[in-house]
Amino acid sequence: MSTIGTIGEISRTGARTNRAAQLIGVRLYGLLLILVLLSLWELSARLGWVVSAYWPPVTAILRAAVGELAGGDMLDALASTLRRAAIGYIVGSVVGVVLGILLGKSRVLRLALLPLIEIIRPIPTPAVIPPLILFLGVDDALKIFIVSLASFFPVFTNTISGVAAIDDTLIQTARTFRIGWLRTLVSVVLPATLPAVTAGLRTATSLTLVVAVLAEMIAGSSGMGYYLVQMQYALRPDLMYAAVLYLAIVGYCLNRAFIVLEARFVPWIGKT
Amino acid sequence: MSWRLKALSANLLGLISPASVLCIWETAGALGWINPVLLPRPSLILRSLVDLVGDGAVFSPLLHTIALFAVGYGLACVIGICIGVAMATNQVLYGLLEPLTECIRPIPKSALVPVLFLFLGIGRATMITVVVLAAVFPVLISTFQGVRGLDPVLLETARTFQVRRQRTIFSIILPASLPMILAGMRVALGLGLVLVILAEMLAGEDGVGFRILDLQRSFQIRDMFAWIFVLVLLGGGLMMLFDVAERRLVPWRGRT
Repeated sequence: MSTIGTIGEISRTGARTNRAAQLIGVRLYGLLLILVLLSLWELSARLGWVVSAYWPPVTAILRAAVGELAGGDMLDALASTLRRAAIGYIVGSVVGVVLGILLGKSRVLRLALLPLIEIIRPIPTPAVIPPLILFLGVDDALKIFIVSLASFFPVFTNTISGVAAIDDTLIQTARTFRIGWLRTLVSVVLPATLPAVTAGLRTATSLTLVVAVLAEMIAGSSGMGYYLVQMQYALRPDLMYAAVLYLAIVGYCLNRAFIVLEARFVPWIGKT
Repeated sequence: MSWRLKALSANLLGLISPASVLCIWETAGALGWINPVLLPRPSLILRSLVDLVGDGAVFSPLLHTIALFAVGYGLACVIGICIGVAMATNQVLYGLLEPLTECIRPIPKSALVPVLFLFLGIGRATMITVVVLAAVFPVLISTFQGVRGLDPVLLETARTFQVRRQRTIFSIILPASLPMILAGMRVALGLGLVLVILAEMLAGEDGVGFRILDLQRSFQIRDMFAWIFVLVLLGGGLMMLFDVAERRLVPWRGRT
């Protein structure tokens, strides 16, 4: 199981006193470093230190990013990417949890499906796009499928190993008290697997945007990935960096939202 | 002995379902139930694959892909572990680098491929940069978490015995946080491979990724599936290699 969170989480738990002051205090040099790097970027672009025609100054990127707010293709592209990513993520995670629990509980299903899943799992996502174009076309169906496929695997593998790791005493206790299988599933198995499921969901969250964007690059007619490739051909680096900036902001917000939700719904995680 | 027999029979049982899927696929193809242009029969794909290996056409793109991946992934692991350990053990470096890491990390790395292609030009260096950028963060963050999560008694013991800093890192910190480092490297392995294939597809010059997309666009579906099968073997092989290495390095993992 892989639980890869942010660096901030762990470091923050220890320091409760003067948190705000301490947060900035430790990071002061880091924030300065970012400012220095950004000014170097700006200067190098303005003074022509970098030998590339496609190295726009930071201010030009920010101007492009703000300009798109007033109305442009970029935010539409972002919205359609996010819509597909969200649908794919939800479908992939639900299927991942359901199959993970089913295969974790049933030996027959495990024998029947696990080898097939294990064969498909190592294929890098971009490679399945060309054959899928033949069956699903290049529209929403393809991209939603790709995103759900990519988010399925981490959720599934974590769920199945979570189910396998459940303390047998829990199940036996439920059986002793003659609790039905449905209630055992909902009240015993699910809560006990939840930390593992969450770990899978976290990996899936970070993958969805990556995969949604790459699917749009390979087979695209809309969305952020398509937009980026179009701007590459149009030689508009300022718009490309602005697009990356928006994607990074969205990625950051998703990660933050995940941490907040996780702390709310699985408060016992990481406290064992 | 009986344990081995059990493992063997489990492996054989595991072959039943892929074999039956292949049989159904083959018969459905032979009976004309599926469009042979879109989804050729497995036996035909296998013949293409044999041809590919037979005339040696498979090796140059495969080597291209493997080389890009290996260099990028190797660099990412080294950089990730070094920075991760440095940030976890040194508070000044932590404050210096944490904000920068948190700025670059949430960028979906696939979005950087066209940006870097435009800025640095299409080439091997650019592709390796992309792989490093994608693979470095999972390694860095899990290394950091692994080192920060170490039992403080370990480090205090080292201090009590006045073990030098360098030796503390190599003999205590790294081995003790190895399971976490490897967990990050496992995530990075998958991501790195994804980015190599994507970069090859977008660059359109060489490599397995380029082959697959190119064959699909020229509608040589049989050969395309053969190449995808090559990729299944490559990805599966790399993961198996990783599992073996992990079991060697962390034999106690999964037994607790």
